[in-house]
Amino acid sequence: MRRERDRLSVEWVKLELLRTAYATRGGLLAGRDPRVVIGWYLILAVVPWFTHNVTVLAGLFVVCAAAVVLSRVGPLILGLFVIGFVLEGLYVLFAAWLFGGDASTVLAMAEFTLKLATVSLASMAAFVSLDPEKLSDALLSLHAPAMVSFGVSYGYRMLPVLMEEFHTVVDGHRLRAAPLASKGFLGWRVAVRTATTLVAAFYPLMLNTAKRTRTTVEALETRGFTYAAEHPDGRRIRLAALRADRWDALFLGATLALVAVCFTVGRAFPLLGGAV
Amino acid sequence: MADSSRTAAIPDLRGRPGPPELNSGQKLMVFVLSMTLFGLANIVTEVLPEIQVGPVELGVSYLTFVPVLMVALFHPLYAALGAPLGEIVFADLLMGDFSGIGELEGYLQMFLALYVAGCLVRDPGRRWQLALASVVTVVVDKMLSATVDVAKVWVGVEEADSVPGLPESVLVLEGVDFAVALVISGVLFGVLPAMALGPRLHGRIEPLLGLAPRDARHRIPLAERGTGAFLLLAVFLSFVAMIAAFTNEIVDNFGVWEPDFVELYGARFLWVGASAALIVLVGLVVSVRFVLRSRGRRAAQDRQVGERRP
Repeated sequence: MRRERDRLSVEWVKLELLRTAYATRGGLLAGRDPRVVIGWYLILAVVPWFTHNVTVLAGLFVVCAAAVVLSRVGPLILGLFVIGFVLEGLYVLFAAWLFGGDASTVLAMAEFTLKLATVSLASMAAFVSLDPEKLSDALLSLHAPAMVSFGVSYGYRMLPVLMEEFHTVVDGHRLRAAPLASKGFLGWRVAVRTATTLVAAFYPLMLNTAKRTRTTVEALETRGFTYAAEHPDGRRIRLAALRADRWDALFLGATLALVAVCFTVGRAFPLLGGAV
Repeated sequence: MADSSRTAAIPDLRGRPGPPELNSGQKLMVFVLSMTLFGLANIVTEVLPEIQVGPVELGVSYLTFVPVLMVALFHPLYAALGAPLGEIVFADLLMGDFSGIGELEGYLQMFLALYVAGCLVRDPGRRWQLALASVVTVVVDKMLSATVDVAKVWVGVEEADSVPGLPESVLVLEGVDFAVALVISGVLFGVLPAMALGPRLHGRIEPLLGLAPRDARHRIPLAERGTGAFLLLAVFLSFVAMIAAFTNEIVDNFGVWEPDFVELYGARFLWVGASAALIVLVGLVVSVRFVLRSRGRRAAQDRQVGERRP
């Protein structure tokens, strides 16, 4: 019974990871030009740090939350985010109370948490719905090093192979090892066995990956990879697919207008901390 | 083994007096290998369970031994450039956990930590050097991240110093996080596995990439470039991370842009501005020199190739 569940769980985790990486994404931001999405993110990630006005922050938070809903972020990521923020806030409050804080500490922490939450929501809305390869093209067009976009493409293709191989190596270790006689206090033997297996699995994995890397890189270099990455013509061909239309302009304009509205409302009705 | 013929073709490289300079393909190999392995290690870390005891999170933040072995066995610069990118690509971007500007901060921290660690290792066959490198990696990385976190609170909260209990609580949380990371990521998943695997991999994995093993008798350029230039780089990068968190201090008075902001912020404002300018200047000089040098080298290579061809 235990063995059955164990096997299922490893398989389940693997599938779940692959699903997260390759599931078709969609929603509001997915159809936009990736450069515009990065611009949108930069606006909403930088603006919250300019103000201590809670009304403005709440407005920006609502904007980002709406974007997250519209870009169909999965419940798993959203749930993790919420739990993480609630726990973090609780711990900080607890620690502040321990060191003699009062209501002002709570308010200050609430403001800070709101800021961080807004920025995280913005990044979630922007990057969860965006195809990694589109994102890497956008970064390339913003003059990020060619290595970044290569890394994204390579990782996107190699991930399933690598995970499969890691799983095989770990399974091999488990097959050769004798089952544990007892779990030990609080299952410490299981923890130690898991950790040593993980570490030991990396030894063959490193050697195999080295071989595979050499093959890949030699194949790439034979076709002039480094040369093409540096040559302006190669860049032009790669980036020809990027095109911003007027919907993108409209989208950016609407975002800026919303941010302006937030600041206007915040100045008119400052909830706390008058300085905008 | 299928690759024994490949390995057998290598010894002429080993016999040479010094390790040859890496060509662009080999740099790419080291970079990609380090990226792939650390990326995979991060996916494994995501799956590992974490135990929460109150505010303390007893979890593995990363498998330190993987990138430490990479910077110890190969050229530290290219390995250190690749590893944090692997974390971003595999664990964050593909898993839908990409956090934009925050990733840049993490990249700089991890790169600096790994590069420092890789430069400290001279002979990957010696276990204590690998142990030192693992500890240094975690210490540098966590120190920088704690600095950035504290700076964020200081900037993000209005007059953070006057809020009772806040600075202490943040510092305590950071300190606990630091200690946990040092024990779990630094020792349990850093020192011990690195000491076990390092000497076994040394001399075995390099030929698979067509490289000569790292040799203590020969210095690798950019890995032993005196502590002066090296410390400069360290300070420079940590400042960049700090300034990224401090920028809002400058633009805080966005809405009330008045000429008396110098009085309001006093010397601190000037200091931030001046150090930002200095950093931009140093960065420009370094990058221009680097570009010029690499261009000169490439031109020389092209000339050599051109001479050889006819």
